[in-house]
Amino acid sequence: MTDTRLPLTVIGGYLGAGKTTLINRVLSATHGRRLMVLVNDFGAINIDADLLESAEEDTLTLTNGCVCCTMGGDLFMAMADVLDRNPRPDHLLIEASGVADPQKIANAALAEPDMRYGGIVTVVDGRNFSTLTQDSLIGPQVRGQIACADLLYVSKTDGQEAAPALQAINPEAVLADPPTAPIETLLQEFGQTFEARGKPASHPAYTHWTGGGVRMFGRDRLAKLLQQRPDGLVRVKGFVRGDDGIGWLVQVVGRDIDLSRTAQPDKTQLVAIGPSARVNREDCDSWWNEKAPDVQPDALCHPSATDTKFREMDT
Amino acid sequence: MSGLPESLTPATKKICRTMTDTTIFKARKIITMDPNCPEATHVAVRDGRILAVGDERCADGVGNVRVDERLSGAVLLPGFVEGHAHLMAGGLWDYTYVGYHDRTDPDGQHWPGLTTIEQVIEGLSQQAQKLEPGAPLIAWGFDPIFLSEERLSRHHLDRVGTDRPILVFFSNLHLMCVNGPALGMAGYDSDSRVEGVVKDADGQPTGELQEMAAMFPLMRRLGVDFRHLAQRESAIRAYGRMAVRAGVTTMTDLFSTLSDDDLAVMLQITAGSDYPLRIVPVLGAAGGQAEELAARAKALAAQSSDKLRLGAVKLLTDGSIQGWTARVKWPGYVGGQPNGLWNLAPDQIFELCEVMQREGIQMHVHTNGDEASEVAIEAIEAAARKHPWPGHRHVLQHCQMMGTDQFTRCAELGIAANIFANHIWYFGDQHAALTIGEDRARRMDGCRAALDAGVRIAIHSDAPVTPLGPLFTAWCAVNRQTMSGRTLGAAQRITTLEALYAITMGAAYTLKLDGEIGSIETGKRADFAVLGEDPTAVDPKSLKDVPVLGTVSGGEVHLT
Repeated sequence: MTDTRLPLTVIGGYLGAGKTTLINRVLSATHGRRLMVLVNDFGAINIDADLLESAEEDTLTLTNGCVCCTMGGDLFMAMADVLDRNPRPDHLLIEASGVADPQKIANAALAEPDMRYGGIVTVVDGRNFSTLTQDSLIGPQVRGQIACADLLYVSKTDGQEAAPALQAINPEAVLADPPTAPIETLLQEFGQTFEARGKPASHPAYTHWTGGGVRMFGRDRLAKLLQQRPDGLVRVKGFVRGDDGIGWLVQVVGRDIDLSRTAQPDKTQLVAIGPSARVNREDCDSWWNEKAPDVQPDALCHPSATDTKFREMDT
Repeated sequence: MSGLPESLTPATKKICRTMTDTTIFKARKIITMDPNCPEATHVAVRDGRILAVGDERCADGVGNVRVDERLSGAVLLPGFVEGHAHLMAGGLWDYTYVGYHDRTDPDGQHWPGLTTIEQVIEGLSQQAQKLEPGAPLIAWGFDPIFLSEERLSRHHLDRVGTDRPILVFFSNLHLMCVNGPALGMAGYDSDSRVEGVVKDADGQPTGELQEMAAMFPLMRRLGVDFRHLAQRESAIRAYGRMAVRAGVTTMTDLFSTLSDDDLAVMLQITAGSDYPLRIVPVLGAAGGQAEELAARAKALAAQSSDKLRLGAVKLLTDGSIQGWTARVKWPGYVGGQPNGLWNLAPDQIFELCEVMQREGIQMHVHTNGDEASEVAIEAIEAAARKHPWPGHRHVLQHCQMMGTDQFTRCAELGIAANIFANHIWYFGDQHAALTIGEDRARRMDGCRAALDAGVRIAIHSDAPVTPLGPLFTAWCAVNRQTMSGRTLGAAQRITTLEALYAITMGAAYTLKLDGEIGSIETGKRADFAVLGEDPTAVDPKSLKDVPVLGTVSGGEVHLT
């Protein structure tokens, strides 16, 4: 049982928000994953010399297995090149340009059968974002970047001050507080498949939860249940038994609930993670064990287009 | 000169070569764009340059000359200069054209416009018969804005065939429609969760795919790569053939990525004496890193050749008016659509302008909406205060909504304007009715306002957005007629001579090549447009119908 699709995580945010700083941290971290990062340019990419295996005009290869490439003039064509790489990387991160709509890039992961949605992380400069969001020229695009995020990361401040305004723009996104939670841990988690590593990375800033049982689900009922999961549970993955004898591979990242078919497992194996400030295991247990029976199996039996209901596209 | 006796010394050989290498082209009439000698009948050419202009005696005293009579029935103008086009215009002809308007391909085949969905189906069906079984059929140029009937769907394309994937790009390349087998290749069905996969009332995909993310899986599987469309050899060769048919001898590629490999290919192709076109690739500011862009532009400039001129950069500020992505000033779009999108943030535009100005690098700045042109003008003004450079000749490209106020500032700042005159015909009716309304549509693409404000102007096609054809572009600026036949903004019309100047000297000025091309004048390159009639003598309403017989590029004759 394996998910071979390439997870794509988009890192958005306005100019100077701190996207590259985050990418530098992710690239340099010890995680044992072959990350591929597409950036607009190497301008601010700063890799420790010890970690650099080779540097070419448009490709940096790291000793930890990560690769960083410039995307050239055409992001999507560069994405196609990544998919054609052999072996494929474990996780693709794309740095959106400062004015890009990250959703338009992330949509490629929803469209392309060989890819999987790995979330949108929007980096926000806590010092100037309120000025920016109200700017008559660029404000709408900056707000759009915040509105489509699954995870908001406030840089340069502790994030407390910005939190209410960010939540007003995007009430659903999980806010990562940088002083307590290393965001790169969570970001890597977006890319991991169940096969690659069962348990989420351990850090006290994050709460992990595991779910089990032998209950069986249809697509609609399972999707509805996952949609009603406790706030802050930003990543859920694993296997659930299907009510038709075929199993469900579950990949939840932020607002995206992705269910695909797989061999029927003996029992449910779900793992999930969220910031400790937002998530506690008791709520998760009661959600999974108690709320599930309340879901009306037939309440949502419109076979067409149901999935779109579970993803609220940015507006 | 293999025929020369071996006893001749090298010095004598050289004299002989020079003497026999002078060619006089005799023409019915030569319109020079040089006010010192506005009209002539003969032009003498040596080493690819103009040696003399005048009558049959213009080259008396230079020694032996050969008179070339091939153009004696033709009217010569300076080779036309297309200041805003894209190399992809050549590459797209690898695919089948299904647009609403007539077009002629680089090999001269006429493709009549397809004005109903039934005609599109018929055209595709004919093309499908020429393909191997199962081979994909890829088409381009479809534009629903001109079709009032139902939306093109997979059901229409399934009538063409279900034995092969069929993919029809819309003219803006942001949308496509595909048939059932193609939907199957991408796995698109009622379960698809992608925003750009359009579905019908029953939740089934209609076949229409919107934006790159939704189109990407099919492009990837069918090998459609926008980079190669613009850079492979066939595209560059086709660009040259298109130019000959349009009378063009110098043409830009106005957002080039220019990798080292691309550059090597272009240098090699354009160096051939058989290649009929001077290309001016302009490096696109994709990532917005100003210092890196400047360094790259300078490195490219050092590699320029006669037929490949490098060193300028392109900034893309906003989107398009008809796509509602241009940044427009109050009162915005008449349909209440939200204001458009910045492709570069205003902060980046200011930074790029400052660094390019400091480094002495000419910029071509895409500005469709009037808020975008305002920001661009302010950014150039701010840069000019910090780093004075009187000869910068930065160019605003498209300039579609600029009024006299902005043109006046351009004149003050030494900014040139390359105006998108073709829009009046192709989209003028839509602009008046749907995008910015009658008042602002009347002043759109205001060549008169620009000239009266003292701005140096060029006019352009933006091929492949509209077809390459400087005489058609000139006709648009002179007549301002829309597709419905009305005159949109009569006050902005310019004269035939002003329009002909704009497609020769005017465009050459925007490329800083006016010392070498743009007029038929001693010392300049022997680049001519070869026409079947005198464009200054025909009714201005017929300007677009003046036949183009070919070009002379660096003294080499290329007839269609």
